[in-house]
Amino acid sequence: MEIKTDRFTELAKKELQNERSRLFLKLIPPVMKAKRDAGMGSLPDAPAAVACGAAIRAEALARLPELLEEFEKNARANGMKVVWTRDAKEANEFIKNLAQEKGIKYVTKGKSMVTEETALNELLEKEGIEVWETDLGEFIAQQLHRPPFHIVGPAINVPVEEVRDLFIRKIGLKEPTLDPIQLGYAARLFLRDKFHHVQMGITGVNMAVAETGTIINVENEGNIRFTKSSPPVQVSVMSLEKVIPTMKDALHMIRLLCRNCTGQRLSVYISMDSGPKKKDEVDGPEELYLVIVDNGRSKIYQDLKARDALRCIRCGVCLVACPVWRQVGGYAYGWAYSGPMGQVLDPLLLGLEKTQELYRASTLCGACKSFCPVGIDHPSLFLYYRAKDVLGDPEFKSVDRPWAERQFFKMWSWAASTPWAWNMGVRMARPIMNKDAQDGVVRKAKGPFGGWFRTRDIPAMAGDTFHDRWKKIKKERG
Amino acid sequence: METSVRDEILAKLKAAPKAEVPTRPSLPPYKTLSMDREQLIAEFTARLAEEAVVIHRVKDLQEALDRLTLVAVEEGLKKVMTSTDDVISKLDLAAWGQKHGIQVMTPHDFPDRNSYRDAVFDQAQAGITGADFAVAESATIGLIVNKDQARLVSVAPILHIAIVPVDRLVPVYEQAIEKVFGKKREYPSQFVFITGPSMTGDIQGVLFKGMHGPRKVIVILVG
Repeated sequence: MEIKTDRFTELAKKELQNERSRLFLKLIPPVMKAKRDAGMGSLPDAPAAVACGAAIRAEALARLPELLEEFEKNARANGMKVVWTRDAKEANEFIKNLAQEKGIKYVTKGKSMVTEETALNELLEKEGIEVWETDLGEFIAQQLHRPPFHIVGPAINVPVEEVRDLFIRKIGLKEPTLDPIQLGYAARLFLRDKFHHVQMGITGVNMAVAETGTIINVENEGNIRFTKSSPPVQVSVMSLEKVIPTMKDALHMIRLLCRNCTGQRLSVYISMDSGPKKKDEVDGPEELYLVIVDNGRSKIYQDLKARDALRCIRCGVCLVACPVWRQVGGYAYGWAYSGPMGQVLDPLLLGLEKTQELYRASTLCGACKSFCPVGIDHPSLFLYYRAKDVLGDPEFKSVDRPWAERQFFKMWSWAASTPWAWNMGVRMARPIMNKDAQDGVVRKAKGPFGGWFRTRDIPAMAGDTFHDRWKKIKKERG
Repeated sequence: METSVRDEILAKLKAAPKAEVPTRPSLPPYKTLSMDREQLIAEFTARLAEEAVVIHRVKDLQEALDRLTLVAVEEGLKKVMTSTDDVISKLDLAAWGQKHGIQVMTPHDFPDRNSYRDAVFDQAQAGITGADFAVAESATIGLIVNKDQARLVSVAPILHIAIVPVDRLVPVYEQAIEKVFGKKREYPSQFVFITGPSMTGDIQGVLFKGMHGPRKVIVILVG
């Protein structure tokens, strides 16, 4: 998938013309939000539960290296094969080599955001290994070659007509229908055959429990269970921040995740793997590989503020909450992670230069923050990235600003901290600004400030400053 | 090479600035924790109904078998795959099948993995299992995977029938987890929570049951 995070404005403009998506965005998010609210309402004390979720994730990050070591030790003792990889390339190469070594012709995949990030499918397919995404939405998105529209419903916006035509082309749909249920069943039958004969399954990981060396997957469809039950080889891929201290913590996080994701108390299947199948078991993997992917996270971890972005558990509630996502949908964000979640993660994973418009495409209203079950402060991260960018921090791959802009702000900061210069400036600026005023309102300006007026106007300024008027009145009254 | 990647990543993480471990707020107990047995059963049953699970409550194993017969007739079952767990083994389903003309298979009937896969994918009209836990909090069934609880039996057939002894009903997940993960180094290869039939809403948000896993789940609650 081509990364288009540097083209937010262009893509957003295009998406705003998409009537079907707009209609969908009007109808579905309110329903999802209502479900989420009802789900959270079923907790005895929802705000405390959120505070606890934030504390668990904060602790997991504070103790990250120690927890990873504990997890690894226990997972190995359980019989898992733990593989560490620095970046996308190393992770993908390992999986490709393993598949080739085993003579694998195709793999089934459970939805995994980290392998979207590493673009694993592209490499496997290039090497002639078929990849079947098996989550229904992910399957449709994969066949259409599109990024996820929403993290939980990656193709939820795709019109049924398009799904029908796709299924006629790709899976030999015999009786064309516009019934989403019949279309789903057609995909079920098609993928069932893949599950039946699959020799290697690839999944993501929702959580890794340090205390027991267990990996946990949360899902509704059953495709992950098939992927972990049918083939003799299982590869699960996780980014290194997924580890949490205890099983009890995992239960708490699962309660929060399911409710914020879909409003369910519990997703249909929660499967917890502590190792490969035992000798006398008839199904499940004979070999279980766990691939831990860093891909820039250990670098993000160096920055105490930016590190908070790694708390994210990918529930997707911030998308539904966001007034921007609710207008443009997921495609405008140009990569695997969309909405506020993508806006906090992408700049760290890809660098500020490739995400210029992304962390600026926010009203800073804080809806995301108010819904987030792990206490991420998205708006303050956006401001942090903007500041880093303007200051030209090379650690964040910032762009720096044009020379003229830097000079302007140097002057501005001098003037703002020098009273006589400031007072002179505000007097001098008045006639210049009011030149374009009409009926007491300024609607446009020439030069570099023109952009500000694209979506705003401002009342014309009074002839005198407040101070001048005050002095005048005092004088008049003697 | 591998050790070095591992050590390199861990060293980087360890060298990072330290953050404080925050204190955790205390949480009030779940509603189900203060319920008595009958209330728990009522809660479990009500939540199951919400998940569109068909529930039968019976007195004992004999009655469970009778009910299973009715279900088999209703669902037109001719071939089923069953677990060999401690609940199912008490029922002698082989004899039951013979009596009612239903072919009862178990995962151990097959010479190899592939023929077992063929049967559970293509032949079994239903998977019948016991349950290690039932959790009232969200009407969830807990299955410990082992030699008598094969994974595909509860996910591959279109119908899953779970026979649940009432004494396995617990208020919250924690009690199940404590039992399963209580003894270090003796964890099952997999432990799974099942809440209702498989479902999706991935096409235009239209929810339906039976995406990849069972379209229907029937619980026979015994005792």
